[in-house]
Amino acid sequence: MDLVQQFEDATRDAAATVERIPRATAEIAAAVERFAPGAQRIAVAEPANLPAELFDACRKLPGVFTGRTKKEWAAAEVGITEAFAGVARTGSICVAMDQGDTGYASLLARTHVAVLAAEDIVERPADLFRSDRLHGKGLRANYVFVTGPSATADMGPLVHGVHGPHQLHILILV
Amino acid sequence: MAVAPIPPLDSPRAVANKSRKSTLLAAIRMALRVEGPAVRRNVQTLNRNRYTATAAIPDYEALKDQARAIKERALAQQDELLATLEASVKRNGGHFYFARTAEDAARYTAEVCKRRGVRRVVKAKSMTSEEIGLNHALEKDGIEIAETDLAEFILQIADEQPSHIVGPALHYSRERITELFKRKFQTDLPLDTGEELTKFAREKLREKFLEADAGISGANFVAADSGTLVLVESEGNIRMTILVPPLHIAITGVEKIIPSREDLGPFIELLGASGTGQPMSSYTSVFSPPLRDAPVIADAAEPEREFHLVIIDNGRSKMRSDPVLQEALYCIRCGACSNCCANFQAVGGHAFGGETYSGGIGGAWEAGTRDISRARFSDLCTGCSRCVSQCPVRIDIPWLNTVLRQRLSRHDSSGASRAMKEALAGVPSADAGASLQKLFFGRYDIAGKWGSRLAWFANGLSRLSLTRSLLENFVGLDHRRSLPAFASPTLVSTAKKWAALRGPARSKTARHRAVLFADIFTNYGSPSRGLATLGVLEAIGVDLVVSEALPDGRAALSQGMIATATKQARRASTKLATYLAEGRDIVVVEPSVLAMFRLDYRHLLEGEDGRKLYESLRGRSFDAAEYVWKCIQEDGLDAGAIFPAARSPRGTRIFYHSHCQQKTIGSAAPTEALLRAVGFDVVTSQVECCGMAGSFGYKKEYYDLSLAVGRDLFGQVQLAEGHGERRVLVATGTSCQEQLHAGMQREIVHPMELLAELVQPVGAAQA
Repeated sequence: MDLVQQFEDATRDAAATVERIPRATAEIAAAVERFAPGAQRIAVAEPANLPAELFDACRKLPGVFTGRTKKEWAAAEVGITEAFAGVARTGSICVAMDQGDTGYASLLARTHVAVLAAEDIVERPADLFRSDRLHGKGLRANYVFVTGPSATADMGPLVHGVHGPHQLHILILV
Repeated sequence: MAVAPIPPLDSPRAVANKSRKSTLLAAIRMALRVEGPAVRRNVQTLNRNRYTATAAIPDYEALKDQARAIKERALAQQDELLATLEASVKRNGGHFYFARTAEDAARYTAEVCKRRGVRRVVKAKSMTSEEIGLNHALEKDGIEIAETDLAEFILQIADEQPSHIVGPALHYSRERITELFKRKFQTDLPLDTGEELTKFAREKLREKFLEADAGISGANFVAADSGTLVLVESEGNIRMTILVPPLHIAITGVEKIIPSREDLGPFIELLGASGTGQPMSSYTSVFSPPLRDAPVIADAAEPEREFHLVIIDNGRSKMRSDPVLQEALYCIRCGACSNCCANFQAVGGHAFGGETYSGGIGGAWEAGTRDISRARFSDLCTGCSRCVSQCPVRIDIPWLNTVLRQRLSRHDSSGASRAMKEALAGVPSADAGASLQKLFFGRYDIAGKWGSRLAWFANGLSRLSLTRSLLENFVGLDHRRSLPAFASPTLVSTAKKWAALRGPARSKTARHRAVLFADIFTNYGSPSRGLATLGVLEAIGVDLVVSEALPDGRAALSQGMIATATKQARRASTKLATYLAEGRDIVVVEPSVLAMFRLDYRHLLEGEDGRKLYESLRGRSFDAAEYVWKCIQEDGLDAGAIFPAARSPRGTRIFYHSHCQQKTIGSAAPTEALLRAVGFDVVTSQVECCGMAGSFGYKKEYYDLSLAVGRDLFGQVQLAEGHGERRVLVATGTSCQEQLHAGMQREIVHPMELLAELVQPVGAAQA
């Protein structure tokens, strides 16, 4: 099975949603609008791995905010970030914790939309700790493996959506 | 007439310190009555998920070896790594502090908070901060602390200690959380589902995250070369804690340091799978703080980020110099040893745990970070060994608990009583601290020898109520348990007669030569299982002799009498070596004895010769059914023709329960394969252990717990039988048979007895 297919299956097992889209800025913005129609408060974090132009159309979506107050961030509905890696076996994505607002946009918004290039999918988590994979980025960056939306079983049954995003939607650029 | 009131149950806090045995027993009572159902449901779910998740890792065993090797290397180089780590943290722009004691760590943290004018702290789950009593220390300075992990949030409200190292509040059912929140928050909001409770807690805490002046976390791993921390979670509260407030303080034990970031690979894959049974937990953060490239969200001027790493010793360097407790420092706190533990599944960590740490590994940690008396709860480790193959860093947890048991016995006993036991009973001085109860069970070989010589007398005596009352009062043997009868004649004496009748063995022609080890349980208690084994092995053409009856050390080891067990192991292995030299394999009836040869003797047979002997014993000793299956496959025999199940006078529907140690050493699967191959319709039990676990279930103080564990097994028998006809109950372990008998009140058969009944007379199979 190819890595992208394996990644998609594992992502769904982890309660995330995923779709493949063409590598174009309008396609990304359209996918966000399809997934979160009419979102009022959208945070867009600058990519560092992908070309910055790919997020141009997202920055023009109605509802994008750029302020930096606690109040604004507390009410964020959608956070758009890049993921610099995907992990096929577990359906995880790797998202920077810092890199400007990437950490906040992937954490504080109710819905996290992550953009991942198909060629950045590796086979297993341990690959992030090898210098010969992803140019060793996994050995240098400050990041988080994100596997599905935030979840808890502490209140009895399994509940999705705790302190982090309630929904995780992954856009694979092919 | 007045009815004696039932004494009120203790609160979890009141029974956290179990340095007195009476507190341990009170904790078991509380746990069985209040927390048991939620613990069982949650822990068994984690247990099932772990089996699924680890089975999906193709190189799981190799990853465990790698993880273990990294931890061994890290511990050996700890002093250099500590210096490297300090340099890395400072290079990154952070502050580093090494705290010798819990007080040092708490004081430093309080000082940092004071200097930064911290009023509000958000805190992520950290067993280490529980260990050092951090909250209490900060609250004294007027700092408000919000526990943000939902389980810790519950515990903070309820004022309870964690009951599990991964799921600290898994002893709470949804209903009990609803009741707690309604009472403490005096709210009319609907709180009747997991979603409603989560939403309620989330809203309370979101505000705290944004207003916090500091975030305090622990760490799962720390890489020395880069100052990288790894933190694993599923809720997102740790990500909040380390990212949102401008000040981050991470407090963790010195054992969490590994050499480099490149070493993280195996741990990242093992922790989620072994812990919550997910391929990965929702969030695994990998970062080298301070996070300079993440501007702080602030309404006014943006404060500077500050990071402090507090590494604590608090007893760990003493553990490191202890040849046995040192193993516990490899622990990555996944909780697998708790989840696969039958006793833990029944009571959880408020009974099977101390003030911070719980479960199989918890005793070593409480002993190491506090003192030996705090490890008393490790008596609930029955040595069933299920955790041995589940630990991702291969810690032999039952061995740690055996050593703790021996040390506790010494700690508890007076010098005078030790001297008397040495003088009167010939107990080696290292074991002389053992209580009368432990001596009774630990030297079962003596009881067996005299009991079977005087079987008519001993068996009659053991049925007398006076005897039972004496045994209960002096030895702590519960009167509700039926005692296994002593057999006369023994296996060895019957086998001698049998050999004389049969004439010389056909050693020249036999393809397989073996010795049946006459273990004390089979020899004195249940020779019929041994005789059946002789018949079955004879039927497949094995040239078989029977050894003399020898204690193997299992009974002594289970009571923490290590010196006695060592002496017995040396004697038994020397004897068995002569059979190995003759080219005979070793066949064992009792699984706990086979587990001695395959697992425990590595601790008992010392030196180069001992190691070699252990290796050869391990490779050439077999469970009886496992050996039959091996011979049948090697010789290409038709198992169904030799043992046609259809002829069984008992029918072909069976329920098979394998012994806990049998599962660990890998002899359960071949037994099941053999029973199926000969034509039985087999349903197997799905429990880790029956709950009897050797002598454990006989002990008066643990009788209720033992039966609570057994109920899972009894329920599975009932489920397998449904409304259909009964199944024949089959079990390999002696104590499993006793437990199944106690629960079902039916005859329990050993696999060899089942097969021996089917043996065709020589020649008939071909006819």
